[in-house]
Amino acid sequence: MELSICHLYPEVLNLYGDRGNIQCIKRRLEWRGISSSVTELKIGEQADFTRFDLYFIGGGQDFEQEVLLDDLHTGKDREIRAAINDGRTFLCICGGYQMMGTYYETGEGVRCDYLGAVDLYTVGGKTRMIDNYCFRLGQESGGSTVVGFENHSGRTYLGKGVKPLGTVLKGCGNNGEDGTEGVRFKNVYGTYSHGPVLPKNPALCDEIIRSALARKYGAAILEPLPDRFEKQAHDLVYERIMSGTMSTD
Amino acid sequence: MSKKPFVIQTILAVASCKLTRAALRVSGRGGGTALPGKVAMRFERNILAVTSKGMDIIIVTGTNGKTTTSNMLEHALTARGDDVLANKSGANLLSGVTAEITCSADWLGRPKKHTAVIECDEGALKQVVPLTHPKVIVVTNLFRDQLDRYGEVMHTLEEIRKGVRKVPGSVLCLNADCSLTSSLALDAPNKVVYYGLEVPYGDQSGAGVSDAMHCIRCGAKYDYEYRTYAHLGSFRCPKCGYRRTDPDVSVTSIDSMTAQGSEVHMEVAGRPLKEPVHIGLPAIYNIYNACAAIAAYRAFGGDAEEVAASLADVNSCFGRMETFMPGSQPVQMILVKNPAGCSQSIGYLTGLDEDFVLVVCLNDRTADGHDVSWIWDAEYEKLAEDGHVRRIYVSGDRAGDMMVRLKYAGIPEEKISAGCTDKDILKMSAESELPVFVLPNYTAMLSLRSVFSEATGKKDFWEKQA
Ligand SMILES: [Zn+2]
Repeated sequence: MELSICHLYPEVLNLYGDRGNIQCIKRRLEWRGISSSVTELKIGEQADFTRFDLYFIGGGQDFEQEVLLDDLHTGKDREIRAAINDGRTFLCICGGYQMMGTYYETGEGVRCDYLGAVDLYTVGGKTRMIDNYCFRLGQESGGSTVVGFENHSGRTYLGKGVKPLGTVLKGCGNNGEDGTEGVRFKNVYGTYSHGPVLPKNPALCDEIIRSALARKYGAAILEPLPDRFEKQAHDLVYERIMSGTMSTD
Repeated sequence: MSKKPFVIQTILAVASCKLTRAALRVSGRGGGTALPGKVAMRFERNILAVTSKGMDIIIVTGTNGKTTTSNMLEHALTARGDDVLANKSGANLLSGVTAEITCSADWLGRPKKHTAVIECDEGALKQVVPLTHPKVIVVTNLFRDQLDRYGEVMHTLEEIRKGVRKVPGSVLCLNADCSLTSSLALDAPNKVVYYGLEVPYGDQSGAGVSDAMHCIRCGAKYDYEYRTYAHLGSFRCPKCGYRRTDPDVSVTSIDSMTAQGSEVHMEVAGRPLKEPVHIGLPAIYNIYNACAAIAAYRAFGGDAEEVAASLADVNSCFGRMETFMPGSQPVQMILVKNPAGCSQSIGYLTGLDEDFVLVVCLNDRTADGHDVSWIWDAEYEKLAEDGHVRRIYVSGDRAGDMMVRLKYAGIPEEKISAGCTDKDILKMSAESELPVFVLPNYTAMLSLRSVFSEATGKKDFWEKQA
């Protein structure tokens, strides 16, 4: 078995240790004897979007997103929508997650058209939602708890019938109002948990890998890994967040 | 503009500052670095403007190298006979700077020292400079750092710009090789001096995470004639023409680099320095810090040959390459706070020719940043490839995250020990038969350093100043 991974815009969407996610996916495949390749697709470069099984798109600085939207609107947006409808797996973080939606509206009312691949939109807010947080994945994504760090001023709202990735246990999530976090649409996993969300949440990583293998090979059973360090790191942070002792000095 | 405070307010502010600090020290609660400033500011909000009046001040800001550059400047100024005030404690917010300067004034708030080298947090610059009117402001570089405090590197740059705008009379001393830093000159009326490296260093591919790939003015991707590290190098925008400015102080060749330090040739104002420059601290980033110190010292009215000569015996300071001897082997502490600095420190370690033991400490307190995601951008993979790393001990609030990071970097689990307290690390270091290197982040360094200082009889930073 083999997975082809495409890292979209690594040169601009690379904030906050995003590349830890790719590394986590690669290692967990490697430890199970499954090979993988990572292709970086940068601004201005073309590729065949039917070639890849798993796409990763991270978060970026506002100032660099304009450059990128111009590039998306050269036709890549259509190809990405087709790949999603084809059931290919996408892991989208923070800015990359917002970009899957229909638009972003700034606090001043300026609207920016996004990919429109998933029925959700984002509105700019005045205050940033910054902190360690934690949510429980929906049953269709395995139901485990995820610990992460959110840092966003945009508030994201899901369309009718669109499922979130999980339910907030502590923190803000999509918008700080409705208790939802992220999105799960077909095999698109969107989350505000920026940076390296997968290493401390190996169950989510395996869920994502499984979805990509299942689409390609029909079914996939992943051999369990020991995950001693990973569980320890997850549990330590989980307990501190839930008991409210995380961000105290 | 602030009105002139009444004398009584000044006296109360100064007295409260001095007394609070004395009380904190007597009660054994550390150096009292920020609280005395906060107390003084309650009596007179702009007390710093009074207690720094008439002083000649250099302010050093930027992501990495603030403390070392300040230390180099203080060392050179002291060598020429100045009585220099410096905020060695790393208390670099408005309250800390206020405390440091106010405590050294007399009871009427008149400064007793004439010269000061002040390390200042990037976000606090806009508060500190209008009160202190520094002669020179050094900006060392800009990298991603402590993300949850500032959001983004561009935001940090704007914070610095706000500060610079308030003092058009200060000379800016900027890193020519950092496209973000040198953009501060674009719309500033200030006199500017630049420093940089005229030679490539290390990997020229530009791989790895970069904090500034695209032109800050127009968004086009920079071309590089050569690189030094991270996004530093001779950059040029092919679209709008924004480019590196030829530096006034530059390194023209790196002749040697060892664990003890570097030797370089330099040019100042177009003329080579007579002697090669010995820098008594290792690694490429200290070559940059040395350039910054020379450029700032000149802008301050000093002689380049003089400051260059003083760099040979500059001491490591406060957790930056600081060495302790708790047993038979040296323990070197290297503060790491962000991916660029951490990767450079790892590069320094993997360049060594001997086996060693490594300690990695990661906290997530306010001074460190609550978000520890940055560890995934630092190149711990290099440690996995280096056979000299015999064992790795992990400690801190976020030891769990660090263990996972090291595991995914390719380091075998058996090589990693967790659950260490500061005391365990001290004991291990005292018994070690190999040199020990410690990579702590800020608050981890503070607590570890105090345990090592106590055990080895080193004084705390604030006792040295008394
Ligand atoms: Zn440009």
